[in-house]
Amino acid sequence: MVTMTAIETSHLAEEKSAVTTRSEAPSRRVSGRFLLGFVLPVLLALIWEAAVRFGFAQGRLMPPPSRIFATLYDLAITGELFRHIAVTTARVAAGFVVGVLAATLIGALAGASRLARDLVDPTLQGLRAVPSIAWVPLFILWFGIFEQSKIILIAVGCFFPVYLGMLGAILSVDRKVVEVGRIFRLSTFGLVFRILLPAILPTYVVSLRAGLGLGWMFVVAAEFMGASEGLGYLLVDGQQLGKPDQILAAILTFAVLGKLTDGLLAAASAPFLTWQDTFAPRN
Amino acid sequence: MLLVEKVDKVYPNGAEALENVSLRVNAGEIVAVVGGSGCGKSTLLRLIAGLDRPTHGRIRLDTETIEAPHPAVGLVFQEPRLLPWLTVAQNIGFGLSDRANQERDDLVCEVLQRVGLVDCASNWPRELSGGQAQRVAIARALAPRPKVLLLDEPFSALDAFTRASLQEHVLDLWNAFRPTLLLVTHDVEEAAFLADRVLVMRPRPGRFVAEIDLGLARPRERYGPEVEATKRRILGALDRSLRLHPKGEELAPAAAI
Repeated sequence: MVTMTAIETSHLAEEKSAVTTRSEAPSRRVSGRFLLGFVLPVLLALIWEAAVRFGFAQGRLMPPPSRIFATLYDLAITGELFRHIAVTTARVAAGFVVGVLAATLIGALAGASRLARDLVDPTLQGLRAVPSIAWVPLFILWFGIFEQSKIILIAVGCFFPVYLGMLGAILSVDRKVVEVGRIFRLSTFGLVFRILLPAILPTYVVSLRAGLGLGWMFVVAAEFMGASEGLGYLLVDGQQLGKPDQILAAILTFAVLGKLTDGLLAAASAPFLTWQDTFAPRN
Repeated sequence: MLLVEKVDKVYPNGAEALENVSLRVNAGEIVAVVGGSGCGKSTLLRLIAGLDRPTHGRIRLDTETIEAPHPAVGLVFQEPRLLPWLTVAQNIGFGLSDRANQERDDLVCEVLQRVGLVDCASNWPRELSGGQAQRVAIARALAPRPKVLLLDEPFSALDAFTRASLQEHVLDLWNAFRPTLLLVTHDVEEAAFLADRVLVMRPRPGRFVAEIDLGLARPRERYGPEVEATKRRILGALDRSLRLHPKGEELAPAAAI
């Protein structure tokens, strides 16, 4: 039923958009497309639910959606779920901000100055080759098992994609566009803010999104190393007490949070990128 | 008056781009520099625009020596080079950031009307055709009212119809603002249609080998006998320059046709 509605709605939206004016069309299309994204997960959930309901599968280790949602509901009404979400999100946010700030500064410096690049880049590329989880024991020794070591680990995870994105973007800015700035006698400051920043923005946003994705990945690793709250704690707890529905509830929450924050980041940057002349069809 | 005095340009890799080039362009004059690809035409414009420095010699505008981009010198590149993140109007106003808002808006509005793109003012560059984009580029260079406007093969990437209409546009703009125009081109017809004076350039190292004073009144008839005769004069000069300097260089000025 749900899937049918989704398809019908998107179909209707497309028909409507065909007759509306050009400026109106994209938003309607987007809402239709947006619903299409639900078709696959909902369909899979329904199939699994039916399989367990009609006895084709046991559902002990892989509980059906109804049980997962019941667990989520229970966690939600006690307020526990939101406490875990808040703690985990705060860790990701703190680590992301620290990592992105450091990566942006160092990436900008390495992009702008040949000397800084030769000095810093080889070391960073070497460190990048180290699987970041490998730092966990060291960070615990250095910073203890509380918030500090967790946030630093997440920051390390967010750092590299953003650093690489920033550096690559700066190095690939078109000389021809920079010359336009020179012809109009921009100061260094003007060159940075009126030419370089807008030119690197699309790549930079992509690297921010990659960084945020890694942030969500590393928060789990961070919370595995001893946490009493957070979604990662729910995972560990679910494993130790044999509660697969709690594990799946936490995983589902991760999926929703990750998608949501990524969407927010993309939406927040979209107004600055409408000028792009890209391959992706706009309609 | 724009003066190029005994300018040499040797690139760091040892390539001699220009040798002993001198040029004098009077205020409000239109001068075309013609020659094949790689003869140093673009290098000359980059030096005058202040994007590069000459190895020897100097470039003067009235009393000032040009060593860096100068507010009174505008440059239109071979490609439009619009900033894709700015609208058409913002692109045109790009060089006017030091002006008050009202003055900037007025200047942008006026050139927009002159190039006939008022309707596109809030469009993105990606929404423009090639000809429109180059018109915006010309408008951007003209908006700060430079005394000298340099054009570096500005229409070479456009089809013949668009090119002809843009040449008319440039003449209109010249009539309105009377800047000194220095146009680099490999299109003999363009030179004959637009210029007061044509300079012929030869490569390796780049130097002037002939100067032709066209002495034609405006408006000119693009396919009229006078322009046709002038084209033949320019082609003849190019041809003679080849026979005078047959150092195994390319035999036909292919790009001149």
